[in-house]
Amino acid sequence: MSEGPENGSRLHPATLAIRAIERLPQLVLGLPAAAYFIGDSGIVIALLLAGVGLAASMLFAFIYWRRFTYWVGDEQLVIESGILNRNRRTIPFDRIQDISLEQKLLARIFGVSIVRIETGSSGGDEGELNCVSGAEADRLRDRIRAYRAGNVVVKNAVEERAADDDTPLYVMSFARLIIAGLFNFSLVFLAILGGIGQYMGSYVPANYLDPSQWIGGDQDTVIGLISALSVVSFGIFLLIIGVISGLLRTVAQDFGFRLTRTETGLRRQRGLFTRTDVVIPLRRVQAGILSTGIIKRIFGWNALAVQSLGSDGDAGTHHEIAPLAKRDELVPVLDELSLPPPPPAEDFTRVSTKMIWRSWAQSGIALALALIIGSVFGEAWPWLLLLLVPVLLVIPVLRYRAHGYYFAGEILFVRRGFWRPRVTILPLAKVQSATLVRGPVQRGFHVATLAIGTAGASRALPLMIGDLEMGTARHLLAGRVVTQ
Amino acid sequence: MVEPQDSAPVEQAELIALDSRQKHVLRIRAALLGFVPLAMLCVADFLLNQELGFPFGWGVGLGVLLYISAVLVVPGRRYRRWGYRAGANAIRIASGLLIRKETVVPYVRVQHIDVSRGPIERAFGVATLTLHTAGSYNSIVDLPGLAIDDANRMRDEIRAHIRQDLA
Repeated sequence: MSEGPENGSRLHPATLAIRAIERLPQLVLGLPAAAYFIGDSGIVIALLLAGVGLAASMLFAFIYWRRFTYWVGDEQLVIESGILNRNRRTIPFDRIQDISLEQKLLARIFGVSIVRIETGSSGGDEGELNCVSGAEADRLRDRIRAYRAGNVVVKNAVEERAADDDTPLYVMSFARLIIAGLFNFSLVFLAILGGIGQYMGSYVPANYLDPSQWIGGDQDTVIGLISALSVVSFGIFLLIIGVISGLLRTVAQDFGFRLTRTETGLRRQRGLFTRTDVVIPLRRVQAGILSTGIIKRIFGWNALAVQSLGSDGDAGTHHEIAPLAKRDELVPVLDELSLPPPPPAEDFTRVSTKMIWRSWAQSGIALALALIIGSVFGEAWPWLLLLLVPVLLVIPVLRYRAHGYYFAGEILFVRRGFWRPRVTILPLAKVQSATLVRGPVQRGFHVATLAIGTAGASRALPLMIGDLEMGTARHLLAGRVVTQ
Repeated sequence: MVEPQDSAPVEQAELIALDSRQKHVLRIRAALLGFVPLAMLCVADFLLNQELGFPFGWGVGLGVLLYISAVLVVPGRRYRRWGYRAGANAIRIASGLLIRKETVVPYVRVQHIDVSRGPIERAFGVATLTLHTAGSYNSIVDLPGLAIDDANRMRDEIRAHIRQDLA
C-alpha cells in the first residue's frame, strides 16, 4: 500500500491485452472495406494501414494506462486519470453505496475484473476500475466494507468473511439451473434465424417451398396433407428453438448462482461467460417481489427479486436474488431482508368485482369505435376483431381472480397477474407517494386505482391496486398507505 | 359515460383552491397552445377542399369551436379540479379533468423541491411548487398556481421536514 495518492497503483497490465483483443474483430471486419477502397493491388497496404491503426490505438491505450492511477486511502478512494486533461476524483468511503465486480469472458481468462463503484448520485459511472486483478478487487472491497462496518482495517477480516461466505443463503445446483432454463422458454433465437433466412432467401430457389413441385401432380389432398404436416412440424420446430434458447440464456446468465450474506448486504455471484459479483446493501432494499408463472406455480417454483436504490448494470434497480426456489427455501432469504413471506392467496382482500365490468365496458367501447370507423371507411377487417371477444371476456375475470392486497402490520402485500402471478412485499415505510387515479370509465363505475410510488420499481409496471370501491380507495389512501 | 355526482363536492370542499390568478395563466396558455391544432384543422380543411372537393368550412368551424371551448370553458373547469391540503406529515394534491388524480406525498419522502415560474406565471405573480420523490411512479409532483409567497413558505416548511437520511 502506498502512502499517498501521488504513488497510487496502476490497473492490471492484462487490461492492455484485453483492449487489443477486443479491438481485433473491428479491424478484421474493416479490412475488406479498406481493400475495396484502395483497389485490388492494395491488400498489403490495407494490412499495413490496419497494423498502424492498431499500433496507434494501442499506444494511446498504453499512455492512458500509464496515466491512470488509483489509491486506496483509509477513508477514501482517489482515482487520477487523463492524458492531457488530468482529472483527480476523490470518493469518500462514506459515500460508496455499492461495489460490484464484473468479469467478461476475456477478463476471466486473464483473472481480472472490472470494479464499479456506485455512490448513489444520479450519474452512471461514478468510479470504474477497468480492470484490476481478482485479489486486488477483493482487497478493495474488503477494505471499504471493513471501513463501513466501523472497524479500521483488520488484517484477518478477510479470512473471517471467507468463513462466513461458506454458508450461502441460496445456491443453484446444475439440475435447478436446467429446470429454470426449461421454464424460460423464449423465442429470441427465432428473430436471429429469421434474419439469416432473409439473408439466405435469395439463394434458395423459390419453387423449393412450393409443395406441388415436389409431387409433380395436381392432387389437392396430397398438397393439403403436406401443408398440414409442414405447419405441425414448423410448430414443433418453434417449440424446440424456444426451449433451447431459453436453456442457453439461463445457463449463460445464472450459472454458478450463489447468494451469500455479508455484514451490510446480500452478495450475488452468477454467470457463465460474464461473471458478475454484486452486493445489494440491505438498507437500500425497498421491496421484495415474489413471482412465478402459470406452469411454474403448479410445481411450487418461485423467483425472488428485490427493488433497491442501488443499480445493477443495465437491469436498473431490480435485482434477482433467487431465480427458482421453493417457498420454504425463500423464507431464510426473506428473513435476511426483514420481509415476511406472503400469506396464502385466500387471505388476500379482493378488489371490487366492478373491475371485470369496467374492463368489459372499456373493451366494448374500443371495439365499437373500431367497427364504426371501419364501416365509415368501408373496410371489412375490423369485423375480424370480433374473434377477440371471447378473450376479452375471459381475461378480466382471470385478472380479477389473481388480484388482491393484504396488510400485515406495517407491510403491504399486493398480488396480481394470472399469467405471471407476482406478489409485491412492500414495507409501508418505503412508500414514496400514493396516487388515486380515476379515468372516465372508472368514474362511471365509482372505482379508483391506487398507484403506489416506490423507489426502484419498473416504470412499465408500477405497483397498483386496481379498481377499488371509492370509499375503500379513499380509506387506503388517507389512512393506511401513507400517514398524513 | 354519464358524469356521476359522486363524492366530488365533499372532497373538493376540504381542499384549498389555487390562487385565482392561476385561471388566467391556464387561459392564456390554452389560447397560445390552441393555435397549433386550430392551424392544423384549417390546413386540413383547405387541403380536403382543394384535393377531394369536401365542402369548405367544416374544419375551420370545428377548429374555432374547439378553440373557443378550450379557451373559455376548459381552463375554468380544470382550475376548479385543482386543490391541495398540506397536512401535518403529508401533502395531498388533487387535479385532472378527464383522468382525476389525487396524490399524497409524505414530507419525509421528498428528495428535493423546486419553485419555478414561467413568463406567464411571473406576469400573474404565481409559481409552481414541484416535489421530487425517489419513487419511479409519479416521482415528480407539480402543484401550480400558488401565490409566490405561499410557494416559498410551503417550500421552507417542507424543507424543514426533510431529513439528511435518504434511505
